[in-house]
Amino acid sequence: MSAMLLNKEKWPDFVGKLAGKNLWVPRADGDAIRFAPAAEGEAPALDYSNSRVPPKQAVFPQTETLFRFKVDGEDLEVPQIEDQTVLLGVRPCDARAMTIIDKLFSWDENDPYYLKRREMVTMIGLACTEPGLNCFCSSVGGSPASTEGLDLLIVDLGENYLLEAVTEKGEAVLKDTADLLDEAKDDPIQQKEKIIKEAEQKIKRSVDPEGIPEGLPRLWEDPLWQRVSASCLGCGTCTFLCPTCHCFDIQDETEGFESRRCRTWDSCMFGEYTLHTSGHNPRPTRRERTRNRINHKYSYYVDKFDVIACVGCGRCINLCPVNIDIVNILGQVKEAL
Amino acid sequence: MDLEKLRETAAEVVAREDVKYLLGWKSGTFGYRVAPGFVEDTAGAAELIFSPLCTANLATYLTLVEKLPVPRGQEPDQRKVAVMVKGCDSRAVTQLLVEKGIDRDDLIIIGCPCPGMVDPALLAEKYPETEEPAVVKWSENGFLLAQNGRETNLARDEFLAVKCQLCRYPNPVVSDIMLGEPVEAWELAEDKGVTEVEGKDADERWDFWVEQFSKCVRCYSCRNVCPLCYCEDCVLDRLNPTWVNRSVNISENTAFNIARAFHLAGRCIECGECERVCPANIPLGRLNRKLAREVRDKYGFEPGVDPEAEPFQASYKPDDPEDFIL
Repeated sequence: MSAMLLNKEKWPDFVGKLAGKNLWVPRADGDAIRFAPAAEGEAPALDYSNSRVPPKQAVFPQTETLFRFKVDGEDLEVPQIEDQTVLLGVRPCDARAMTIIDKLFSWDENDPYYLKRREMVTMIGLACTEPGLNCFCSSVGGSPASTEGLDLLIVDLGENYLLEAVTEKGEAVLKDTADLLDEAKDDPIQQKEKIIKEAEQKIKRSVDPEGIPEGLPRLWEDPLWQRVSASCLGCGTCTFLCPTCHCFDIQDETEGFESRRCRTWDSCMFGEYTLHTSGHNPRPTRRERTRNRINHKYSYYVDKFDVIACVGCGRCINLCPVNIDIVNILGQVKEAL
Repeated sequence: MDLEKLRETAAEVVAREDVKYLLGWKSGTFGYRVAPGFVEDTAGAAELIFSPLCTANLATYLTLVEKLPVPRGQEPDQRKVAVMVKGCDSRAVTQLLVEKGIDRDDLIIIGCPCPGMVDPALLAEKYPETEEPAVVKWSENGFLLAQNGRETNLARDEFLAVKCQLCRYPNPVVSDIMLGEPVEAWELAEDKGVTEVEGKDADERWDFWVEQFSKCVRCYSCRNVCPLCYCEDCVLDRLNPTWVNRSVNISENTAFNIARAFHLAGRCIECGECERVCPANIPLGRLNRKLAREVRDKYGFEPGVDPEAEPFQASYKPDDPEDFIL
């Protein structure tokens, strides 16, 4: 795969070339960054550590219409996903997260909606040079310049950007923008390696997952779950803003005679999650729900798909209203083992 | 406030046989975070703090605990819960008592007169959080931030949280034990957030809220953190019939946010927690403060002040104004 240099002065032209497709860029909104379809001539916000809502929303929207139907009719209308989408400025952790949830959506059944969107998306990543306060990607198999899930990786070298193609889709982007690019020789690659090493050293939080996946089942009734969940509010902040959380609910929504079946994000922190029709809920309190969140990420998923379903982006830590801190919980898990 | 006195009092309270636990504030795991603490013993009491970072309203936890059926042969735990309250928090407790959502006999209320909280988001914007938990204290002309061995003075005018700028009850209105001396109430600021929206015409106001509600991700953190959103069966969770669809779009988001604001009219005690926790940064406080102001101006009613009051939405006076009825 090839690597090229882009002088920063040509950056707006580079973005302009991508704008012909359905281009999503990070946009500053108050103190948060959100991914949104780019407006004409919009300069993507690149000076951030994490978007508030992860870019998973571009391939796994919070609300997805599966099909429409009429209450008194027989025809189903299935929305077609046709748009080629480009996600620009994706953080490596968020791209890696998509490769993790790919496993779920192509496991027992292939999920046509999710997989079609994945097929249609080109992900252009931006390596982290300034990790956030609660980033811990390097503890869970990631890195500030991980290319997993990306088609093209951009590294900020100061005056230039280094563009490294990871897949054929990434090569195609380099080809389309070739007139803006210069050859990258050995030097920029070494410069990149130095920058990434420095970024890695700036990561302050860590957890050693060794022993956690096998150990968690032994802690099923451990008092630690009561302790760490006592202050949980049962809201969906941690799960909705998690790049690997993928639970969904399916509902029929009807207006007059028009109906649609939709899929919406669900959260294991909600009281109605796994609530049975009988009224029984196997996870009746916040204790069981918190235990589920940790077990799902650090035990069940490892068991099934051989990867931790957490990329260490730190969103759940940063945004929990009551300071429930997954690194701290994992520390307590290690202690209890 | 004297922290030693606070911890000593807390230790005495949790040592009592009729007390299950004490709800207080503890230093968080990093930066300006404060964690709600469920204290059951002296060691836990020794970790308690009361600082300008203790914005969380712990009254929420009085109704949040799930009531599971008691196994056969076991007695229900009838011990009391002790709760540390600031002025605003004590109004939430009072309002819960008014609504009979909690029983006064189940509570030990520890009052903390409050000189005002810092706005944690604003503080983090000016002085970024670091991995070490920072210490913030009250000082003569504002607050003092101690972070990584450096001390910084923070001007009160600049860093006082909006909810505190508008606070008329810095001292707890109900308590069993009061820690420290009452603080003097301060001059109220103008509610710029509400007046800004009021200054718009109907279309602009609608556009403003459409833009805000379109950011909502329906995590329900505002509902869950609210000490007065404690219905066991919330209208938002109902599926049969479904009052609010699960779809996240501007129509459903608006239905949700407006329904919540209406259900809090004459009940919201303006603790500002909804706005603090919203991950989408929706200025929910403005909505609730506007309704609180309407209820105050039109009906002379203020929730959470008098434990003997009749609940506003369940009371009727023959001379109630009806000028809003078309």
